[in-house]
Amino acid sequence: MDCIKICHLYHDILNLYGDTGNVVTMKKRLEWRGFEVSVTDLSFGEFDRNDKFDIIFIGGGQDFEQGILTEDLFKYKAGWLTEQIENDTTVLAICGGYQMLGNYYITDKGEDIKFLGALDLYTKASSPRMIGNIVYSTELNGKMNVAAFENHSGKTYLGKGISPLGRVVKGFGNNGEDGTEGARYKNVFATYGHGPLLPKNPVLCDSILLSALKKHGVLELSELDDRIETGALKNALTLYG
Amino acid sequence: MGIRSSFAVMVGKATAKLLHIMGKGATSLPGVVTLKLCPNVLATLARDIKVICVTGTNGKTTTCHAIADIISANGYTCLTNSAGANMINGVVSCFMNASSLTGKVKRDYAVLECDEASLRHITKSMGSLDVTVVVTNVFRDQLDRYGEVLTTLDLIKQGLAHIPNARLVLNADCSLTSSLVESTKHGDVLFFGVNGGFESTSSSDISDAVYCIRCKTKYKYHSHTFGHLGDFYCESCGYHRQKPSVAVDEVTSFNADSADVLMSIDDKQYEAKITLPGAYNIYNGLAAAAIGRVIGLDDKKIIASMSSLTTPFGRMEHVALGEKGVEMILVKNPAGFNEVISFLTKHCTGEDDILFGLNDNSADGTDVSWIWDVEFEKLGERLREVTTDSQTFFFTGKRGEDLQVRLKYAGFDTGKFKLEKDYRALIQRLMGTGRHTYMVLSYTVMLGLRDKLAEVAPLKKYAR
Repeated sequence: MDCIKICHLYHDILNLYGDTGNVVTMKKRLEWRGFEVSVTDLSFGEFDRNDKFDIIFIGGGQDFEQGILTEDLFKYKAGWLTEQIENDTTVLAICGGYQMLGNYYITDKGEDIKFLGALDLYTKASSPRMIGNIVYSTELNGKMNVAAFENHSGKTYLGKGISPLGRVVKGFGNNGEDGTEGARYKNVFATYGHGPLLPKNPVLCDSILLSALKKHGVLELSELDDRIETGALKNALTLYG
Repeated sequence: MGIRSSFAVMVGKATAKLLHIMGKGATSLPGVVTLKLCPNVLATLARDIKVICVTGTNGKTTTCHAIADIISANGYTCLTNSAGANMINGVVSCFMNASSLTGKVKRDYAVLECDEASLRHITKSMGSLDVTVVVTNVFRDQLDRYGEVLTTLDLIKQGLAHIPNARLVLNADCSLTSSLVESTKHGDVLFFGVNGGFESTSSSDISDAVYCIRCKTKYKYHSHTFGHLGDFYCESCGYHRQKPSVAVDEVTSFNADSADVLMSIDDKQYEAKITLPGAYNIYNGLAAAAIGRVIGLDDKKIIASMSSLTTPFGRMEHVALGEKGVEMILVKNPAGFNEVISFLTKHCTGEDDILFGLNDNSADGTDVSWIWDVEFEKLGERLREVTTDSQTFFFTGKRGEDLQVRLKYAGFDTGKFKLEKDYRALIQRLMGTGRHTYMVLSYTVMLGLRDKLAEVAPLKKYAR
């Protein structure tokens, strides 16, 4: 079987709130089905642009570290990342990583910070922080409820060409105002959901994996024993749904 | 003492008395009442006492306990607040419980565990007092509450700003903590640390403070202990670790309940036994030794005290339950949990069961994602080698299911998983195994479980 290549972008900076658990989960769920998986950590500086990845994962980070990051993004990665997105590479972006894919960020002082601009959306600083368990519904291979945890001060607003990943059932979502949560564009899945997101949302995880496996001619995934994962999801939905 | 503070103290005392009569713990309410009546009451209550505040992410309780051990072992008296009562109300309450009706507190020292966010409220009225502040370390902790590690650091700075003349005792190996040196006026700072690092630790887990706090360049390390702790330096701006005056130079052996070390105080080296379990407790022992120096003990007395330190409740606390007993271990954040995992990887055999308990109440952290920053994989790998047929991993707490998922993905055998959310039923099951159990619990799981454990086994009291 083909080797599925996962890139963990800015793994050493955008690694807040256990987001690395998403990479662990994707890797394990592929390996349990017999795929070979490689995970490449990609941080600051130059890199081999010929490396082709099936999945790019971008997590959330601290504000202190995000300043250092945009500098590197525009110096080395911006063109490459936009190209990957346009070429239908699967991208999972969480919180800070999600905001970074948008056009810009308006700070509390009213300054614009330029972001990647791969997705037509922007984020505006706000207060107080939106913190707590979140449940949202999404339709990827059928309707499902996703349980996660959000913790962000930025409010994100989607442009016309971008659809939300889901609708908020409980919690704030993108901005606490319009009921949207996250963003979908091509094979990009962006969300404020930490928790981490994928471990206890196995159906969502498999949908994201499938979007990447299509290029390898894989159209469906064999079933796994997900009783433990589903148990955790049900528990979270019972407590916070 | 002014009329206002006298009255406040009397009402506070009466409240404490009443609570005792009713058989309730008086860890917070007397403080609430007293502070309402006299917000700066601490200035009065602590006027004849030397105050030692202990703050930082990990090790506050153990360090306070060790400091109190050293103080008592050398003939002095002290009062301490009980674990969990480390905000302003708890601190005032512990003074209330110890004071006479006229507000006299007959103790030499007050050893106060201070929550990082509460330090600024506690120190606010301490400007005129003799205060020493110990900062153990700054790690990621309950991010939903504090935001980020730099927020935590800033909260501690705000606390220090009220007491510009305070003596500081700082962890030299924590780049965040040692940056606090700029927050004291007199430069009366004592550093403690570990020279040469620990053997066989990887540097892959330096994740809470990767970049220089001054210039944002990646730190380099001459040696490393765990987390981001070690002999750090920044090539770009020159910010670097300060040489500690109280240090461990070498660990000759890590034992299940202690560590044999070569320790130096102001460059004089001694053999010592630190009777606290786990590598992370070396730092807590050192912080206490540094306080020994602050209060004027000679080196011999400090070294001797190291061998009679005891652990506070919930920190590797033995409880005689069932045939083989249990060890209770409190976990609060990834750095602390990782050290517990290192300990278990070394000492847990196939004959031991493990109970993992996780709640998401505000005292535990409402965001449970931090369990994914804990390296369970090491322990999973080790247990697959040594496991026995009867070994069981129990899970409990509101978010016990999340821990099950985490451990499944860390390679634990899910066939050995047992979820039991009812504490009484859980205790009955553990009593029936005939095996020893390590209990690894988040804060409110531990409190809840202790209540039920107390029905069937003798337990340490919450406060000393």
